[in-house]
Amino acid sequence: MPEIRPAGPGPERVEHFRSKSEAETEAIGRALAQELTPDDVVYLVGDLGVGKTAFARGLASGLGAVAREVASPTFAILHEYAASDGSIVMRHLDLYRLADRSEDLEVLGLPDAVGGVPIAVEWPRSAIRTALPPTREVFFKRTPDGTRWIGVGRPSHAGSSAAR
Amino acid sequence: MLVLGIETSCDETSVAVLDGDGRVLSNVVSSQLAAHAPYGGVVPEIAARAHLENLPITFEQALAEAHATVEQIDLVAATAGPGLIGALLVGLSAGKALAFARGIPLVPVNHLEGHLFSAFLRAGGEPALPADFPFHGLVVSGGHAELVRVESDRISPIARTRDDAPGEAFDKVARRAGLGYPGGPVIDRIAARGNGSRYPLPVGRTGDGSNDFSFSGLKTAMLREFQKRDITGEPVDSASLSPDVVDLLASFQRAIVAALLDRVETVHRSAGIRMLAVSGGVAANSELRRTLSEWGEARRLRVLLPERAYTTDNAAMIAFAGLLHYRKNGAPERAAPVARSRWPLGTS
Repeated sequence: MPEIRPAGPGPERVEHFRSKSEAETEAIGRALAQELTPDDVVYLVGDLGVGKTAFARGLASGLGAVAREVASPTFAILHEYAASDGSIVMRHLDLYRLADRSEDLEVLGLPDAVGGVPIAVEWPRSAIRTALPPTREVFFKRTPDGTRWIGVGRPSHAGSSAAR
Repeated sequence: MLVLGIETSCDETSVAVLDGDGRVLSNVVSSQLAAHAPYGGVVPEIAARAHLENLPITFEQALAEAHATVEQIDLVAATAGPGLIGALLVGLSAGKALAFARGIPLVPVNHLEGHLFSAFLRAGGEPALPADFPFHGLVVSGGHAELVRVESDRISPIARTRDDAPGEAFDKVARRAGLGYPGGPVIDRIAARGNGSRYPLPVGRTGDGSNDFSFSGLKTAMLREFQKRDITGEPVDSASLSPDVVDLLASFQRAIVAALLDRVETVHRSAGIRMLAVSGGVAANSELRRTLSEWGEARRLRVLLPERAYTTDNAAMIAFAGLLHYRKNGAPERAAPVARSRWPLGTS
């Protein structure tokens, strides 16, 4: 009998961090970037204003992107970040404006159109979990003293990044 | 000469017809705004399929309103990027097909460059104002905050946002205040009856000495203010807001306008702005328009504000940017243009 797991994200291991500033959040992202392979899909989960874009900027600069290229993709939905030589080193997807339906993800050409470099995904809901399952999930919470708790987890179904 | 413009880079499907003097003969935008509102800003169908369904009728209507036939079109301009590939391909492929079938040139246009030149377009059948180089352009919208210097053969980026775009900040704050979508016009109306200097709100600089914009700190500060007041995003009638919240929203708008003005002034002091062309959805904001106009008068320089019809995504600006390219460089090479998800301003 396979072990029954909760249906939710259920990360197996979670590394905890505390960030006191945007710069610290960015540094945690930069550190995670060192572990990523081109197949990695990093979900960024948390409320508005907790530092998801700052974390993505850290990821991007850790992967060699020009940090200035990074901005919130809420309106555009998908951003691609390049190194100074113009090569794409990371993608940044934001599903805030999209309905949680697989048909609505068609426009993104998933998963083929986003292969080859790591991708960060903001506002993931259920439809994207099938189309582009996470290999890392990063949770952001605002604590009462205004600092941010950041937990970096590896979802249980993603034993390796080959799960994609 | 007639130019047909096609725009499908994001939410809007739009087709426009301009004459060779940049007169807008028609500009049809199949706005999905009515469909957005119930979802509080979440686009129910941004899919390529929606563009595909909208394009034929938008195209027919643009020709009809311009009293033109497809045989009279001399040039096609279509947005080729930046944007979602699936969405871009619909408009660009239609443009390619039309150009090929009619044996006329197709100019691929950068969407942001379209915005940049939209300030020169006039409503009411007037010809476009002559592009007077060099000028500075400020594109402020839901997806962008870009300050650039424009010469006849070059666009040089100066400042951009490092996190949220100002239009995005308006939308997210309005949504969290329970005010619906789009947030810019709603907050603009509320702010008109509030005291914008009551709450001094932070507008960050990037901390590395650049002129880049940052609006995420302001958004976070607003969320904190809402939390203090137990505002959770439950839909509210904007007429029933307390004077305190009205002042808070007015202060939020003031902070955005102040940040934009601050960077424009800094650049003016170091580089000397001759003329500022403002564009993008946030260029419809009345406080921004008033503030920048007054700034220009005080500095004795020209501030060009776009007609409100050309602030949001539209094909008239794409046709106009395509026309300017064609005038300067002639017909582009026969090589088929490709859709580009990433296309920074100032790169070819």
